[in-house]
Amino acid sequence: MNNRVNPNLPKELKEFGIRDWNDCYHCGTCTAICPLTAQGLLFPRKEIRLMQMGLKDQLSTCVEPWLCYYCGECSETCPRNANPGELMMSLRRYLTSIYDWTGLSKKFYTSKVWELAFIILFAILVVLAFLFVLPPLDTTLTAEGGVKVNSFAPIAIIEYFDWAMAFIVAGLLISNILRMYYRVVWMGTSKGVGILVHLREFWQLIFNFVVQPKFSKCDDKSYWLYHWLLMSGYTIMFILIVVFLPWFQTEKIHPAWHLQRSLGYYATIGLLIGLTAAIIGRWKKQQIKFQFSHVSDWLFLIMLTLTVITGILIHIFRVNGLPLATYICYIAHMAILVPMILIEVPFSKWSHLAYRPFAVYFARLQNSAMTQTN
Amino acid sequence: MEFKPTIVAFLCNWCSYTGADLAGTSRMKYKPNIRVIRVMCSGRVDPTFVYKSFREGADGVLICGCHPGDCHYQEGNYKCLRRFKLMKKYITQMGIEPERLHLEWISASEGKQFAELVDSMTERIKELGPSQVKQVAETLAI
Amino acid sequence: MEEPRIGVYICWCGTNIAKMVDVEQVTEQVSKLPHVVVSKNYKYMCSDPGQELIACDIQEHKLNRIVVAACSPRIHELTFRRALEKAGLNAYLFEMANIREQDSWVHDNREEATRKAIELVAASISRVKYHEPLDKRSVTINPATLVIGGGVAGMSAALEVANAGREVYLVEKSDRLGGLVNHLDLTYPYLYDAGSMLETLLRRTLNHPHIKVFCDTTVEKVDGFIGNFTTTILTENQQPVTLTFGNIIVSTGLKPFDASRVGEYGYGRLPDVLTSVEFEDMLRSGQILTRSGKPPQNIAIIHCVGSRNTEFHEYCSRTCCQVALKFANQIRTLLPDSNIFDLYADMRAFGKGCEELYTETSRKNITFMMFDQQKEMPQIIRSIDPADPHMLIFFREKISGLGLEVPADLIILMVGMEAHEDVKDVAHAVGISVCGNQFFIEKHPKLDPVATTTAGVYIVGNCQGPKGIPDAISQAKAAAARVLATINQGSVFVEVTTAQVNEAICCGCQTCILVCPYSAIHFDQNKRVSVVNEVLCKGCGTCGSTCPTGAIRSKHFTDQQILSQIAGLMEMTLKIN
Repeated sequence: MNNRVNPNLPKELKEFGIRDWNDCYHCGTCTAICPLTAQGLLFPRKEIRLMQMGLKDQLSTCVEPWLCYYCGECSETCPRNANPGELMMSLRRYLTSIYDWTGLSKKFYTSKVWELAFIILFAILVVLAFLFVLPPLDTTLTAEGGVKVNSFAPIAIIEYFDWAMAFIVAGLLISNILRMYYRVVWMGTSKGVGILVHLREFWQLIFNFVVQPKFSKCDDKSYWLYHWLLMSGYTIMFILIVVFLPWFQTEKIHPAWHLQRSLGYYATIGLLIGLTAAIIGRWKKQQIKFQFSHVSDWLFLIMLTLTVITGILIHIFRVNGLPLATYICYIAHMAILVPMILIEVPFSKWSHLAYRPFAVYFARLQNSAMTQTN
Repeated sequence: MEFKPTIVAFLCNWCSYTGADLAGTSRMKYKPNIRVIRVMCSGRVDPTFVYKSFREGADGVLICGCHPGDCHYQEGNYKCLRRFKLMKKYITQMGIEPERLHLEWISASEGKQFAELVDSMTERIKELGPSQVKQVAETLAI
Repeated sequence: MEEPRIGVYICWCGTNIAKMVDVEQVTEQVSKLPHVVVSKNYKYMCSDPGQELIACDIQEHKLNRIVVAACSPRIHELTFRRALEKAGLNAYLFEMANIREQDSWVHDNREEATRKAIELVAASISRVKYHEPLDKRSVTINPATLVIGGGVAGMSAALEVANAGREVYLVEKSDRLGGLVNHLDLTYPYLYDAGSMLETLLRRTLNHPHIKVFCDTTVEKVDGFIGNFTTTILTENQQPVTLTFGNIIVSTGLKPFDASRVGEYGYGRLPDVLTSVEFEDMLRSGQILTRSGKPPQNIAIIHCVGSRNTEFHEYCSRTCCQVALKFANQIRTLLPDSNIFDLYADMRAFGKGCEELYTETSRKNITFMMFDQQKEMPQIIRSIDPADPHMLIFFREKISGLGLEVPADLIILMVGMEAHEDVKDVAHAVGISVCGNQFFIEKHPKLDPVATTTAGVYIVGNCQGPKGIPDAISQAKAAAARVLATINQGSVFVEVTTAQVNEAICCGCQTCILVCPYSAIHFDQNKRVSVVNEVLCKGCGTCGSTCPTGAIRSKHFTDQQILSQIAGLMEMTLKIN
């Protein structure tokens, strides 16, 4: 690890939204007030110190930013208004770019032009694919009066495309998680951790992904609920469209209580509640966690909202037998969804869905390595 | 019963008494066996003061003055030092253990040193046990 | 001698005494002693009602001796003496027992502390029986003043006294006035120009009709006492001049710490390691350059050089942190793209405007890092990699606990201040003392910070302890006010605890004449006895303990008084045992 103090790193970090890191004079109030501080975890103070001195290698081995759920108490009690919570948020962006080997993450976080250009490029590609690659529009209805959505967007092609996208995204994400593993567990403990420990602690990963218990430790429990509704809605919807597409995308219109529709409704409502809470929060800026919104925060919310809205519209038009409107919304839905998944999940804000539970897992590995040495 | 020695201390006003006050303002803790008598200069410590203390039952006598070269009256502490050497000889001849009389330089800033001195002197006197001077003098009626 | 009627008063000092000493028990025990008429305790004896209590009892019970057991006599002896005078009793018919600084504050066993208090009060009661009324002596004040040391503090004091129309002799050891401020570029925290400030002060001092400046001159020895000092100095052209003056203001200042004593920093060995004093000179030249003539890219500032380290000086020099912050600001202005590293042991930006300066500076992209001044001092080494800046600082950063390295082209050592080599000579010349850090000792660190235990001698500025310019000037003006007050009064009362010869029993051996440090005793050839000059005698009592016949009495510290104190003490000790 490089031990040289580097005042240029803080300048670099500024591009990720970090501001006034020098205001902190290390009184430790943030560490004391944080409901998530545990023995051996001195965050957010430790990371601020490393940032102030520009110690890039040491920062990149830190798992702590992912363990912070930004309740904002540290920022509220900070006597110098150094805003440690926001510093941790910015660090998560920085770490995402460190884990990413393609370099795109850094481009998206530090340049609005790059991010918008990528979104627009993929949106155009999707629209073009529908217009030129897929079969021509068929605006007639089926015998039962349903919209012929499967002939407009044949299951086989869409499913093939879904799986391809899922593999690309998963491949990128897994390679980045391996890089995270190398830094946090390998470099962070300066030696490996036994395979048994890996297996013993593995349930932490699943448990934290599904329940997000750490988030619920923040004093305001409502955000844990909003976030959980959003996360579960998103996950259900993701599984429905990738794994169960033939079952989910049918021309037959099932009754409203049918599992296909009720799962879809749950996911939609979950997403809407979560999104509304986040948008209102970021708009009103009453909580400290919502006061400083980075471009990537808004972009993510807007794209997801648009995805949900177009998804709802597809459903309404399909149920009411309006083929053309359904198809237009379908194209719009895909034109937003595809760039969102491709950019947000491996390179930007949504990568946290993987990094956060893995961070808890890696922290456990780190901890067991440390206790072994002692 | 536990032996609680009594040590009579003569402290010069300018250095040592101020140093002892400093130990107090700094809330240092030391043994409660010392009884301080203030004099203007360690040069004022008349041998009779020392002998009187022993005669009346003191188990030890401590004299403190300014460090050499720092005397408020230029050289009173040197006079004290010379007199001290004679007093040591004298009390030895009288059958008093010479360790019962002690001289130390304590400056106005040496509160800590004063506290440590009191503790170490108390320990030393405890080891020597009670002074027999008063008893012997009364038996001999002198 | 009249029958002693003693009043004894035990002070609680709030809880300071009362929580460790059972004041009720002390009051009761000593009330049984002979001659004690009144024995009382009260919350704060030094307060107005406390003093009133004594005054009333003096009237009511016809008391003629008073003992107060409270704090150190160094703090309130004068207060109570004045109270006695107001009640019509001679001030010297009073004795104080120190049961706070030397009892309640230093012990943690209540029973033992109470016992000690009883014995000390008994000793005082036994002593006060033999106290005698003494008269005060008035001396006239020579209206001239001697100021030793011509830095900003000395000049400010001199101007303040001279502006009141009084003569001032300003003696400076070096060849010019101004002291340390001569080296300064800007002053913290408001970044005023030190040069123009000093220029004004210099012009006023040198042109003042009532100030006589002697440069290249030292004061070797001062004779006399408050109001009547004399000294002989050698001027620049070796002319002896005798000066007479009534008061002395000492403002001899401090000097920068010698940085080469800290081996880790390589000062003197490495060309681009500078002291803060040298860097001030560089700033005054307007350009920051390394020895090779290039502007540095990486500049490191190291705090606490020679300060707050038991190997060198344990004290904090108080100004260096703020000067370092000032440097960081100035470097940022002159070299906007440079990397500035600030290695501190503790950031002590206390005082008006200074914390604000720190906050402001910390927003200028300066990397602040903390090191352990006691255990692990930073090490400066030459870099071997030609791609690096030519020096590297290795240190353990205290907050993160990491061993780090800092590249540097220029390193500034924030040297502390320390006493001049000849500080003891000055102390002896004017009759004051120095503390363990070689700073002059004030009469009382809180209640009387510019006076000394020698009447008529005041200490101001850095020589009393390291401080910034505003503090030094405040002290200078405070001392000037004290001096002007005594000059205005025209005379002061001085203690008369001098020696006195009982001619009837003086055998004429003249031993006292040999031991007197002030040559205050001479031999009367006619009467064949020693005679004390009370004006010259300072009351040390050395003659009294030398006199073989007991002919010399040290007033207020007579053999009888002290022997009685010992007897009273031991009697009570044995009684309790």
